[in-house]
Amino acid sequence: MAPVPSSSSAPEGARRRGGQPRWRRWNRALHRDLGYLAVGLTLAYAVSGLAVNHVSDWNPDWTLGRETVRFEPMPVADRDTLVAELVRVLDLPEPKDAFRPAPERVQLFYDDWNVEADVRAGTAVIERPRRRAVLADLNALHLNRLRGAWTLVADAYAAVLAFLAVSGMLILRGRQGLAGRGRWLVLAGLAVPLVAIAWIHVFGSEALGR
Amino acid sequence: MRLRTLILSLVLASAGLHGGAALAETTYGQGVHGEDTTPISVLLANPDQWVGKTVRVKGRVTDVCQKRGCWVAIASDQEFQTLRFKVKDGEIVFPQDVKGRVGVFEGVFNRYELSREQAIARAKHHAEEHGEKFDPSEITGPEVWYQLDGTGAVVE
Repeated sequence: MAPVPSSSSAPEGARRRGGQPRWRRWNRALHRDLGYLAVGLTLAYAVSGLAVNHVSDWNPDWTLGRETVRFEPMPVADRDTLVAELVRVLDLPEPKDAFRPAPERVQLFYDDWNVEADVRAGTAVIERPRRRAVLADLNALHLNRLRGAWTLVADAYAAVLAFLAVSGMLILRGRQGLAGRGRWLVLAGLAVPLVAIAWIHVFGSEALGR
Repeated sequence: MRLRTLILSLVLASAGLHGGAALAETTYGQGVHGEDTTPISVLLANPDQWVGKTVRVKGRVTDVCQKRGCWVAIASDQEFQTLRFKVKDGEIVFPQDVKGRVGVFEGVFNRYELSREQAIARAKHHAEEHGEKFDPSEITGPEVWYQLDGTGAVVE
């Protein structure tokens, strides 16, 4: 089969079938395959990102089960007396330890749960923290709490993301590519961090957080 | 067979993320550097003597920051006394189940002076986190606040 004539000045060896430069072929193939590879971590980090963005509204790693129990108020006494009374009244097992942060408040500690009582008010709150099964693991990966070897994985993923961003710009040519609408979309995307940074320098980071 | 190996690897990797729970001790941040500890009651008896010094305290965790895990309250060796151990957000994240555990905490003992408005804001935030009632009129003036600005901890 005769080679397809080309109007470009690229050397013949740097071309593939259809007149596409070889680097574009590699760019497209790497973008495709690294994109497939990045799907898992991208989704994991996206879910975790949404979760940790709202850390001021909730704890993305834990849920805190709270049950309030009422009982007949009792007079303030010494710690051991109050602990024994609370164990009896609330039908609790013997705690591994107890502490009084204030004369009327008693904390009872158990393995992975605790009770805080106000004997004067006659209320006790039973707290049972529970780790969010999947989300806490995703957050640990996203925030690199593992350190060590995971740092290498996270660095590699960051490099892959940077490559995907650059290679993605170069996949299409002409009006759909950087020469056309692609350029304006890239500039619009760049404007987001640039405007934010300018805002921080002019008004301070707290102004942006409002 | 390959799929089974993959699933097994993922299960083992997931178990690794929870490894801290299975270990006897968990180290946070830079850990602690030394065996000796200072009783919290000693620190709070003459707090200004200790300001700016690096100290280690041992005690049971009585409270933990519920959103960010960025501080814990440590029970003193005396009743009605606790010391807050504050870490930089994100550098150390204490899990919610640290409450009730005993640990050794290392950091710099510092003094903070809060205006009445700051003291109200801090008390209000604490009350909101704990679902408690808050009456700003209970705070009548500026407050002096001591805490351990933490660098590391080892918790059982």
